[in-house]
Amino acid sequence: MSSSGNPSSSGGGGGPCGACKFLRRKCVAGCIFAPYFDFEQGAAHFAAVHKVFGASNVSKLLLHIPEHKRPDAVVSICFEAQARLRDPIYGCVSHIVSLQQQVVSLQTELSYLQAHLATLELPQPMAPVSSSGSLQALSITDLPTISPSLYDLSSFFEPVMSSTWAMQQQPRPSDHVFGVPSSSSIIGGGGEIQALAPEFIHGGQMPAQPSLGTSGSASTVIKRE
Amino acid sequence: MNPKRCAACKYLRRRCPKDCIFAPYFPPNDPAKFACIHRIYGAGNVSKMLQQLPEQTRAEAVESLCFEAKCRVDDPVYGCVGIIHLLQTQIQNAQNELAKTQAEVAVAQTNLSQTQNSDF
Repeated sequence: MSSSGNPSSSGGGGGPCGACKFLRRKCVAGCIFAPYFDFEQGAAHFAAVHKVFGASNVSKLLLHIPEHKRPDAVVSICFEAQARLRDPIYGCVSHIVSLQQQVVSLQTELSYLQAHLATLELPQPMAPVSSSGSLQALSITDLPTISPSLYDLSSFFEPVMSSTWAMQQQPRPSDHVFGVPSSSSIIGGGGEIQALAPEFIHGGQMPAQPSLGTSGSASTVIKRE
Repeated sequence: MNPKRCAACKYLRRRCPKDCIFAPYFPPNDPAKFACIHRIYGAGNVSKMLQQLPEQTRAEAVESLCFEAKCRVDDPVYGCVGIIHLLQTQIQNAQNELAKTQAEVAVAQTNLSQTQNSDF
């Protein structure tokens, strides 16, 4: 994995970058892809990106992003492209839905436990029931199943906003169509996405997905200093 | 020819054929949907992707593509990966809170049984 801004990967003497190698074109000096797609494995990663997004679309996207944010953008674009190729119907949305369900499940379990704790901490029990009896009376499986549909993804932050513990833990999301906080509030700096990239690409929590290691890591795309 | 062009063909300023691959999923009353998806993926790529899918799965594919495109438009750097990161953070926080509450429940149960034993 070559470092960011390696001049040898850009046009002008060091050979084409991975993107230009894939596109079979001359890699000019100042090629926008060169810092992020090295010669060795960059072509494979770029193939996925090109198939899903298209080179010109990605180029336009990167041009509108500040240069210091482009490595993160390339990592996320590569991730989405590979997820889409792996699951042509849902892409990485299936992963989002799975995580959302985990969040809801954990919130439900937490609410249940907090209610149970409140019962235990009462100075005088309201009813002569044993703790094990109350657990048997109310089971997690008795709670309604929450099955968020794909079409409800735009409102999936609402349970977070209404949950007490969530309000304590997270800042209130901005009034956004998808309730997504700004990128700066999500990921503090470039280092975090770099650390996340192996987790994403090596299938940290991807449900029922084949190993992502065969296609290499997006971190290899990003040239570390 | 479809007398009423779908949103995609309207956006692309072309005739909407009877077998237009976009027509079932981009009704003319929602032009923004195709505009967003075209901006990120491009009409050609979306068309190719849809053609490779069984017809019964295309609607879901379009919705997920729209979602990802919208996320990317709203957050050009992280797209929906930002949402994944946020959810993973929430899961981690929830797990920590859950572990803490489970410990509190254990302590409370111990205190309660001790209190009950001392009453006897």
